[in-house]
Amino acid sequence: MTAEAARATDRPVILSLAGLSKTFGDTSAVKQVSLDIPEGEFLTIVGPSGSGKSTLVRLLAGLETPTSGTLKLRGKDITALPANRRPTALVFQSLALFDHRTVGQNIEFAMKMKGVPADKRKARAHELLALVRLSDSYYERPVTHCSGGERQRVALARAFASDPEILFFDEPLSAIDYRLRKTLEVELKELHQRTGRTFVYITHSLEEAMIMSDRIAILKDGDLIQIGTPAEIYRQPRDRFVASFMGEVNILRVEDGTFPDIGRPAPADAAGAYAIVRPEDLLPGSRDVTAEYAVTQRLMLGSRTQLHLASPSGASFVSEIAGAAEVFQVGTSHAFGFDTDRIAWVDR
Amino acid sequence: MRQGRHLSALRTLWIVAILAFLYIPIVSVVLASLANTRYMRFPHRVWTLEAYGDALSSFTTWQLHSISLSIALSVVVLSTILGTLGAVAFARYDWRGRTWFQRFMVLPIFFPQPVLGLALLLTFTAIGIQPSWKTAALAHLVWILPIVTLVISVRFFGYDVAQEEAAYDLGATHVQVVREVTLPQIWPGIFSGILFGFLLSWSNLPLSVFTSGPDTPLPVWLFSRTATNYSPLVPSVAVIGTVVSALIVVGAGLLLWAGRRLR
Ligand SMILES: Nc1ncnc2c1ncn2[C@@H]1O[C@H](COP(=O)(O)OP(=O)(O)OP(=O)(O)O)[C@@H](O)[C@H]1O
Ligand SMILES: [Mg+2]
Repeated sequence: MTAEAARATDRPVILSLAGLSKTFGDTSAVKQVSLDIPEGEFLTIVGPSGSGKSTLVRLLAGLETPTSGTLKLRGKDITALPANRRPTALVFQSLALFDHRTVGQNIEFAMKMKGVPADKRKARAHELLALVRLSDSYYERPVTHCSGGERQRVALARAFASDPEILFFDEPLSAIDYRLRKTLEVELKELHQRTGRTFVYITHSLEEAMIMSDRIAILKDGDLIQIGTPAEIYRQPRDRFVASFMGEVNILRVEDGTFPDIGRPAPADAAGAYAIVRPEDLLPGSRDVTAEYAVTQRLMLGSRTQLHLASPSGASFVSEIAGAAEVFQVGTSHAFGFDTDRIAWVDR
Repeated sequence: MRQGRHLSALRTLWIVAILAFLYIPIVSVVLASLANTRYMRFPHRVWTLEAYGDALSSFTTWQLHSISLSIALSVVVLSTILGTLGAVAFARYDWRGRTWFQRFMVLPIFFPQPVLGLALLLTFTAIGIQPSWKTAALAHLVWILPIVTLVISVRFFGYDVAQEEAAYDLGATHVQVVREVTLPQIWPGIFSGILFGFLLSWSNLPLSVFTSGPDTPLPVWLFSRTATNYSPLVPSVAVIGTVVSALIVVGAGLLLWAGRRLR
């Protein structure tokens, strides 16, 4: 366990899920999820479409009532507490800004509902505008006159205005173009550090999760199948599903002590039925397990090159190497290999 | 840019033609009301406002308007309330039988109005209700309520429902959610519903003919007097009726505008 993860578990648990389930008719969207979230953590929940991410976060926010299971906030049972009385705020996928109102009115909404006087609301709204890096001139602007990135920030400010102990995010960046998304991811991470609040973030992009999170939870068909720091999940995925979810990887089946895809013996200490080899570990030259591969595709990734390879038996592989790699032209064959200590073993 | 000039000339001509098509009939009613004979001969030998004097001093004119107004206002109040509730059921909540509700609700619009009027009259007499302006209002409601419900429903489909959840999540009570999000969002629909309800009821003839009994709404009187006992009084009452309804609509618009400014 890394030092960071150890520190995370020292903190008191703010939200505790025990056997939380939700079924709609005969689909079980969330199945028996148990999880402790320490105070101040940036937890990301990742999973493919339909895996129950939105349902899970709606359960946590109180917008959906669980079919079974309990939810505790600092040890107090809040399973039956409705969303409007939970000290949490959800940033929706569609943002759900009040489009008949101005930026200022959107941000002040939670305070207005609490009966905070108008001048105090306004002062706080200006503070929050500064927090999300919007100038004061936005206060009077209708939200319909804001760009995608600005709307994003308004939604964030509006959520912060309710002074929530936990913020939930349901894929709020999914509709935003790549470069702006990168900027906002960094800002969100910074905001997390600056405010010290607990963030539960949902995405279907593991890349996004890797950048921002303290811990990542992986959801598949409503089941929480793995949880750990980004490094743990990267180094030791639980199964082929998690491994392939992390990006392009090479998966080698072990059969009777050999790798049939490359026709080489598997190491004697094989610790699972499949070997996961990352593209950056499959490199040119002779290593512990070496074979001949034909280059089928050569893609430049800025300072790195991605090579798509085919083994003599026709299985596809991916290798990522530094530089332009001029010698690896499509159609040529070369020796590539990986070291056994770079293998992640999985059984499923 | 010769072509541009031709195009814009054509467009002007087109707009003028449309406006003429819409307004010539109305203008001819106004012209007819300025005569003093029962026979239309144009131009009039005598131009006079006599018919307006007769209309304004006649008790019938006032009675016609008060009956039509009673019907229209009852229809507006009931159709707005029921139409809003119906729109919620129509557009928002997922319940068993919603699709059937959606289909059956619009069905009355497809009945020819005279058939609907006759059917309602037969029903009223069968269950022993004396026709009056109240039964006429009920008859109008059968036909107008579906339209008002549809008009309001459109607004329910027109905004992101998550806004209501967001408001609730940010600490609003259910009542506050309705006041702060739902009503402002569907308000344009309700306003159009009120306008539609008023104007459709105010000008309705085929349902009123059958169901108003001894009370005579404006369009029924206009129809029967045109058919049997025409005089310039008829177009003058028609013009007065149009002005009254226009004033009501404009007045409502001004109230709305003033309300917006105040808030
Ligand atoms: N209100 C509902 N009624 C019925 N089924 C639902 C409802 N909400 C979600 N589901 C089902 O529950 C499952 C999980 O849905 P959910 O929206 O939580 O997935 P998700 O992981 O958020 O997917 P996406 O990435 O596409 O947003 C899906 O099979 C979905 O069809
Ligand atoms: Mg979702």
